[in-house]
Amino acid sequence: MDYVLHILVMVCLYSILATSFNLLIGFAGLFALSQAAFYAFGAYATAILSVKLGLAFPLPLTAAILFTAAVGILVALPAIRISGDYLVIVTLALQVIALAVIVNWHGLTGGPDGIRGVAPLHFLGLPLDTPRRFLPVAALAAAAGFLIAWRLAHSPFGRALRAMRENEAGAEAVGKNLLYMKVVVFAFSAGLAAVAGSLYAHYFTYVGADGFTIEQTIYILAMVILGGTGNLWGSVAGAAILVVLPDALQFIHLPVEIADKSRLVIYGVLLMAVLRFRPQGLLAAAAAGGTRGALTPLAVTQGGAGLLDPIAPGEATLSGAKLARAFGGIRAVADLSIALTSGRITGLIGPNGAGKTTAFNLLTGFLAPDEGEVTLRGRPINGLKAHRIVGAGVARSFQDLRLFARMSVLENVLVALPRQSGDRIGQVFFRPFRVAREERANIARAMSVLAFVHLDGKAGETADSLSYAEEKLLSIARLLATGAEVLLFDEPLSGLDPTTLTEILPILRELARSGRTVCIIEHNLDVIKELCDEVCFLDEGRILAIGTPERLMTDPELATRYFK
Amino acid sequence: MSLFLQLFVNGLIGGAHYALLAVGFGLIFATTRIVHFAYGPIYTIAAYVAWVTAGPLHWPLPLAMLAAAMVAALLGVFSYQFLYRPIEERQGSTLVVLIASLGLFIVLENLTGIVFGTGGQTVAGFEGGIHFIGPVFFTTVNVWQIVSVLILVPVLAVFLRRARPGKAILAMTDNAEMARIVGIDTVKVSMLVFALGSAISAVPATLILLRDGANPSMGFLAVFIAFVAVVVGGIGSLRGAVAGGFALGMIESLGLWQIPTEWQNSISFVVLFLVVLLRPQGLFGAARR
Repeated sequence: MDYVLHILVMVCLYSILATSFNLLIGFAGLFALSQAAFYAFGAYATAILSVKLGLAFPLPLTAAILFTAAVGILVALPAIRISGDYLVIVTLALQVIALAVIVNWHGLTGGPDGIRGVAPLHFLGLPLDTPRRFLPVAALAAAAGFLIAWRLAHSPFGRALRAMRENEAGAEAVGKNLLYMKVVVFAFSAGLAAVAGSLYAHYFTYVGADGFTIEQTIYILAMVILGGTGNLWGSVAGAAILVVLPDALQFIHLPVEIADKSRLVIYGVLLMAVLRFRPQGLLAAAAAGGTRGALTPLAVTQGGAGLLDPIAPGEATLSGAKLARAFGGIRAVADLSIALTSGRITGLIGPNGAGKTTAFNLLTGFLAPDEGEVTLRGRPINGLKAHRIVGAGVARSFQDLRLFARMSVLENVLVALPRQSGDRIGQVFFRPFRVAREERANIARAMSVLAFVHLDGKAGETADSLSYAEEKLLSIARLLATGAEVLLFDEPLSGLDPTTLTEILPILRELARSGRTVCIIEHNLDVIKELCDEVCFLDEGRILAIGTPERLMTDPELATRYFK
Repeated sequence: MSLFLQLFVNGLIGGAHYALLAVGFGLIFATTRIVHFAYGPIYTIAAYVAWVTAGPLHWPLPLAMLAAAMVAALLGVFSYQFLYRPIEERQGSTLVVLIASLGLFIVLENLTGIVFGTGGQTVAGFEGGIHFIGPVFFTTVNVWQIVSVLILVPVLAVFLRRARPGKAILAMTDNAEMARIVGIDTVKVSMLVFALGSAISAVPATLILLRDGANPSMGFLAVFIAFVAVVVGGIGSLRGAVAGGFALGMIESLGLWQIPTEWQNSISFVVLFLVVLLRPQGLFGAARR
């Protein structure tokens, strides 16, 4: 009986580890494989404080959480610069280094011998030193850990995390602060893993480095992947299965060493099999996570009424002065000056490689100019991070759209709405009612944005199930949702059939009529003629001519340049 | 001074070992963009194949090395054919492939442990001579380690530049999409690099077996070092991989001057960390994306 209870304790510990790991890899898409190191830091911090300083619960636990969360923030730093395969390798390396430090720092960690004699937890003077007594604590911690992870994952913050996972530049372009999000999710993931580590130390009354190897990280990874990335219940199920299943091995009476290795073989085989045959895991992530209530008709307001607060037309808004940017030896943009006016549609045309997209990147902070200045209504905004510039009122779309593919259409828009208090982690946990109230209003607002581009009927579908034309509409909706007054569209109309064109053109005109400053990159000269008040002709990184579409298109020199 | 000379020679020898590891791994990585983490345990298995054939079966060493290379090549091709390719074909990202490779890594490593036991194995009866040049000493195996680089790398370079399949590999390394468009069978080329890259790892595997013996967990450090060397040298550059391998060998060996031995293995990881963070395009800047 005690054995079964012991297994249950382990299921609790691993479900904390797996859910915390899922926050990182499933929700934020950060494959940082150093979870066992966080686990170790939690365990060692608890053991050291409890044995060497004689501190009693809850001090070691608190300290372990804070310390490990701080370590997590340190690990977040490489994750800011690098991603994908490189992040995997670097974090594996970090884990090896962490383990080497633990093994070699004899004085503090006991070296290869580990630390013995960690005091068990007590409840009402009763030592929780058997599985039966410890299980309630473990279960309570697992439940609390799960609730914290759930709250984080299913808040507006969690939605922004998933947007970042789907496309980092896309998330930045709707005003999300990637640095903040990465730091927070690492701190939470590490802190939660530390809870498991701390419990481990008290439960076994011993910590040793061999419990926290790379294999541990892969073990926890297998749980998350088996259960399904982006699904927290899946992680609990994955933890339960992978703790219980290999224990069937003990009935075959293998020598201990071979049994241990066979267990690892099973984890590896399961990991491969899941990725090969069912990559979404046992429980697939709900794409439209937590917004099903949004689809009730009462949230829908028709026709975009009240969507676009009028802005005075004819005022100078965004301008770039003498912008220059070189890549290696190539000057993509050289001495480019442009001034946009509210209520007008400005077209940016020019041959391929003229520097049009680079100009957008410079104006929106996605690239820093080598020279020159960007101002919005007279205030300099260059030097601001891209997400801050969105907040200031300048937003852009991408030629390759960068939608959040595995999120619902509604969520794609919802995540772009400005000033959500649910984006701040403190508000998520300490002002839940305010966040919920705002969320209801935001869903209504997002639905009206979708109605404005006639996508409200598709709100519940995932973005990757849309047609090409619908994707284009969604990218416009997402840009609108940012609430920015200056909207830069990078080829919003390319590749569209005439019917869809007649659908989108009025939308762009409507935006200008409401006083938005609209700038589009476009190759279709008919569209330019029909849509734009003013056209800038760009070539070789500088503006060669500005004028009405009619005037520029009759200029023979520009024509030869354009069609060269 | 004599200590420095000895460390320098040790660095060269270690570097030769790392260079070959990096060449095999880099060939696969640069061509297919797959981080073939299971390269580590495949290298381990190659060492054990060499041990079985050269030790208990008393095959001559070159034959043992050949057997090891063939087994490694087969395992490499299998991992591509039955694990990586199906995932890629279902549009799994390279990241998913890497995670699957971690799974394969842990399976192969532990299977090796189950079959051969966790203790190390050495080839009984093998005696390599010890040579001195002035105060510096090295063994016959060390000489072979250096010579193997001097032979294999130029041969591979000529193969890549002159032979038709070699050119196909280079074309795919340069731009896989373009290679496919001009009619190169990228699946076949991928199988070829998995076979070649894994086979190459059998050479340092056999030599390290003769030098230090084989143990089931030796693959982890090997694949890490190979990855670091490739990143340091610049992805897609044969010369870079060799240079990266020697650079790592030198850093590890000369590092011993100041750094206590128990940290020696951590040096590469720290180097990796710094390089990827500060100069992801590699020190020699040959990276092409």
